[in-house]
Amino acid sequence: MLRRLLDRILPPRVFEERPEPTAVFEASRPPVVRLERIVKRFGAVTANRDITLDIHAGRILALLGENGAGKSTLMSILSGRYHPDEGRILVDGEPTRFSSSRDAIRAGIGMVYQHFMLVPTMTVAQNVLLGQEGGFLLAPRAMEARVDALAQRYGLEIRASARVAELSMGERQRVEILRLLARNSRVLIFDEPTAVLTEPEAGKLFDALRRMASQEKAIVFISHKLEEVLSIADEIAILRRGAVVDRMPRTDVSSKSELAERMVGRGIALQMGREPAARGEVVLELEGLSGNGLEDLSLDVRRGEIVAVVGVAGNGQKQLVETVTGLVPPEEGVVRILGREWRDFYAQPRWEETLAYIPEDRLGLATCPELDMVDNVLLTTRQGFSRGVFLERGRAAQTTTRLVEEHNVQPARPRTQAGKLSGGNLQKLVIAREFFRRPKIIVAEQPTQGLDIAATEEVWKSLLAARQGAGILLVTGDLTEALELADRVAVMYRGRFIDVIATDDEERLASLGLLMAGVKE
Amino acid sequence: MSIELLIPLLAAAVQSGTPVLFATLGELVTERSGTLNLGVEGMLLMGAFSGFFVCILTGSPWLGFVAGGVGAMLLASLHGLVTIVFLGNQVVSGLALTILGVGLADFLGQPFIGQKVAGFSKYALPGLADLPALGPIFFRQDALVYCSYLAAPLVWFLFARTSLGLALDAAGENPKAAKAAGLSVASLRWFGLLAGAFLAGLGGAYLSLAYTQFWTSNLSAGRGWIAVALVIFAFWRPRGAVLGAYLFGGVMAFQLRLQAAGANLPSSLLLMLPYAMTILALIAANLRKGRAGAPAALGVNVEPEE
Amino acid sequence: MRLYAIRRQEPLKWGSCLVFPAALAFSLAFCCLLLAIQGKPPLTGLASLFAGAFGSHHALQDTLLKAVPIFLCALGVAVAFRMQIWNIGAEGQYALGAVGATWAALAFPDAPRPVLIPLMLLSGGLAGGMWALIPALLKVRLRVNEIISTLMLNYIGINFLDWLVYGAWKDPASFGFPMTARFSPSALFPRLPGTRLHLGLALCALAGVAVWLWLSRTRLGYEVKAAGSGPRASVYARMDYGFLVCLVMAVCGVLAGTAGLTETVASAGRLQPSIMAGYGYTAIVVAWLARLNPLSIAVAAFLLAGLRVGVENLQLSLQVPAAFGGILEGCILLSVLAGQFVTGFRFRVERDEGRAETEGAA
Repeated sequence: MLRRLLDRILPPRVFEERPEPTAVFEASRPPVVRLERIVKRFGAVTANRDITLDIHAGRILALLGENGAGKSTLMSILSGRYHPDEGRILVDGEPTRFSSSRDAIRAGIGMVYQHFMLVPTMTVAQNVLLGQEGGFLLAPRAMEARVDALAQRYGLEIRASARVAELSMGERQRVEILRLLARNSRVLIFDEPTAVLTEPEAGKLFDALRRMASQEKAIVFISHKLEEVLSIADEIAILRRGAVVDRMPRTDVSSKSELAERMVGRGIALQMGREPAARGEVVLELEGLSGNGLEDLSLDVRRGEIVAVVGVAGNGQKQLVETVTGLVPPEEGVVRILGREWRDFYAQPRWEETLAYIPEDRLGLATCPELDMVDNVLLTTRQGFSRGVFLERGRAAQTTTRLVEEHNVQPARPRTQAGKLSGGNLQKLVIAREFFRRPKIIVAEQPTQGLDIAATEEVWKSLLAARQGAGILLVTGDLTEALELADRVAVMYRGRFIDVIATDDEERLASLGLLMAGVKE
Repeated sequence: MSIELLIPLLAAAVQSGTPVLFATLGELVTERSGTLNLGVEGMLLMGAFSGFFVCILTGSPWLGFVAGGVGAMLLASLHGLVTIVFLGNQVVSGLALTILGVGLADFLGQPFIGQKVAGFSKYALPGLADLPALGPIFFRQDALVYCSYLAAPLVWFLFARTSLGLALDAAGENPKAAKAAGLSVASLRWFGLLAGAFLAGLGGAYLSLAYTQFWTSNLSAGRGWIAVALVIFAFWRPRGAVLGAYLFGGVMAFQLRLQAAGANLPSSLLLMLPYAMTILALIAANLRKGRAGAPAALGVNVEPEE
Repeated sequence: MRLYAIRRQEPLKWGSCLVFPAALAFSLAFCCLLLAIQGKPPLTGLASLFAGAFGSHHALQDTLLKAVPIFLCALGVAVAFRMQIWNIGAEGQYALGAVGATWAALAFPDAPRPVLIPLMLLSGGLAGGMWALIPALLKVRLRVNEIISTLMLNYIGINFLDWLVYGAWKDPASFGFPMTARFSPSALFPRLPGTRLHLGLALCALAGVAVWLWLSRTRLGYEVKAAGSGPRASVYARMDYGFLVCLVMAVCGVLAGTAGLTETVASAGRLQPSIMAGYGYTAIVVAWLARLNPLSIAVAAFLLAGLRVGVENLQLSLQVPAAFGGILEGCILLSVLAGQFVTGFRFRVERDEGRAETEGAA
């Protein structure tokens, strides 16, 4: 049912205009870049084992794999950031060695990172042409003209004189792409490019990718999102535990679940199977909450239900979360948490049986990177481990060990620094800690962003299980997640709830896409 | 206050603002490239000593002036070694640099205490010196003051109009972006550090070769720290540095005048004035709305990639 | 051939034991070089330095006494540094502590010792703490950079002390020298019989244990550590970041103030400008050398106090200026900073076999 719904809301992007690449095509032209028997180890961990991969001009190669499968390492080797321990890179058939990213750029290989490598205080033109301004003295007009021309050629809509700080994520990504194009990159690598984009922006990106491929650029597209890979790739390579386990043309893949199975190496349930939970008392009440970019928000969340707040990023979700979690006081209207007024509730916050917040920023907000897991567990539970002014560190360490085991956090050593954990394990630690507080209301913000399928599944299961004792406000940009987990979906647009829909109301759900764009019939 | 009193006061303000201006511009260049160098006080003193020493040795104040810059660069290269190469904490390293620089200048300069030097004397710029008010304030100074007039526009031009300036800004705002653009962040930061140190050293040389023209211990008297504060006050912009430096020159000149005039105030209280003003200036700077902040990667070391 | 530096997963445990002696040796060698340049016998100099610091009963007592203010200041600095609050203001807080204690000593000269000494501790600590609260509040309320404000307050504080001893508090019988009258005997610290060791040492032990307990065993100490990761996480965890900033600054101020009072009472018996010997800056060196750990601070404070005493001896025997101590301290700190790289990174040499090939082909 969910699949059907999603398809109705967001029709899969299929492209028919371009001819399918043929085997003859592949044989007749040598690859632009060939990775040959690449091995890369980090200490005891082998991140890449014996990888051989060809990258062809004019084609889009998708590199599919879970987090930690070695995709990013492989591409960092290709873009000159890491050196392979074994194996070699051939550019145009010649063995080449990159001692820095500069060498790779010179060889025509460029990478669009997940975290954009841009200087926000500079203009688009300055960012694009940084390092190759064409002379010691700057000519701002000429630079902007150059960038404008380049943008037009590839259909990347952007104003060259704008400051990057004022741009949306999608526009910033275009700046990144332009920077590579300005360096005449022939191979463009995209590391999870849609993670930060809204739906329409992702569509534009895919158009641009096709346009670049049609102008003989070689595109490498790293992702763990199956739909995307199916809709954009000419060719798919699957990485699992550091090795390429499968390689096929797009045309050979019949279904998403087939691809998923090949990627994870086992059948996974993408349907969560949501057990109904008994509704309890109201745990969160918003009444006409306004101000700080919010407009007349009213909503009840009861124990036993998950209410998802969806919408294009930047429509007030952040302000809503900040208000509910007590970081910013409400300007107008009423916020009642567990039956108490906002001011009253946050005047003396309890540590348990209260509100737990799982923020989008796991490292830096939810955890301290330099502190170990025990200290990070103490971050929000320290009142529970206090005896007078003293802290019961021994008991905290025992609890951490137990939590780490129960939630399958790897590595299972409580003395590991939080900053050394992978994204998925860090999120599991945060969830373990927050659930340990037996919360009555949970605010979860993009809880699975950047996580692989296995970790996503675990997080989803935890959230569903937590409904028994709590009401959950789930703020997410991922519609699949919202529909999988939530009982009701509140669509946010320009600071307002444009509609609140129960997820069993298929008819009204169909208009979700339009609602997110602010259209209400 | 009458105009006869005001004009000499303003002229004195320009004069005592000059070393601070050099140092502030220098620290500005360094910080825009991403390195926080709290060793300005030490660099000023090393600059003052090297300038003085070379001038005594060669008899040429100009050689001394340049030597001041070079001396400070040598000292600052230690900061570069510790922070750019060995990734040590920039705050602590800068403090150590000040402790070391102050000690070295004191130690090496001890034999020269009280000795005079034939430094720079006043030189009225023909034509300009006769302008009403502006002439006596700005154009009857020594040659080094005129040099400082060039330094500020030069720094502005560097950042506003050259690719090097853009690259320095990139290294200070987002070193990863700079690296991804194929720039060498380490080289850029070395350049920013050393160029800044050179300017600070010139300021130091100004102290010994033009301002006092003799050697005594602790010539700089906290000016280096004031320069660090002024960079914040100036929001990392050369124009603000000029304003701030002359403002502080004014306060110092005013305080000296009051002392000389035998004002009925103890000198210790007057000596507090520039430091108290510095704090006030920082408060004022922070109260201003919509300000541009510090370079985003200021004080953050860039780790080597494998 | 290229040399690569790679960050270690976990820093070398024994690394710091190696780095510190190496840095010390390097700095001493550098200073010998300086002596040689000035035509002074470097080895004799070294010998004189060590003899002055640790060579005799008397020397050791000197060193121990000098370690007292350095230790107290360094302890305070370390508390602030733990939270990444760059308090450079121990020197000024020290000055204010001295002033505060002097006020009590001058105002109640006839009070008996059991009353007067606690009173002085209170007024000295309070003065230092309040002085440190100024930059804390400026930081919390007005976002004024604490590095600058604490430094400026050092200059202001020292001038304030000068103003008092040149003016209102000047002893009429001092023949114009800037100093207060001698304190009454009941204001002076009791000493261990037969030695010059005084109450200050006991204060150090007390403060050291208290700070260690506070930082490692209490909830507030944990909050200081966690808030050191930055204000964002502490706001998330519902810690009062502003309060914590004020707290660590005030603690540092109280400790530095106590140091100032100890020095005033125990070494001079009166307030005079010469008590301002730059202990507040040495404290930063000590705190960083000891990696902010209270026990190591005791060791490092003792060593650096030894260097200071040794340099004083050197001053007498070879007419080396006092600035020599600054050179030594700066040099040690810089080399330790650079040396810590070795504990955090490992090196790998890679030969470029592929390179010749590539270049030949290109």
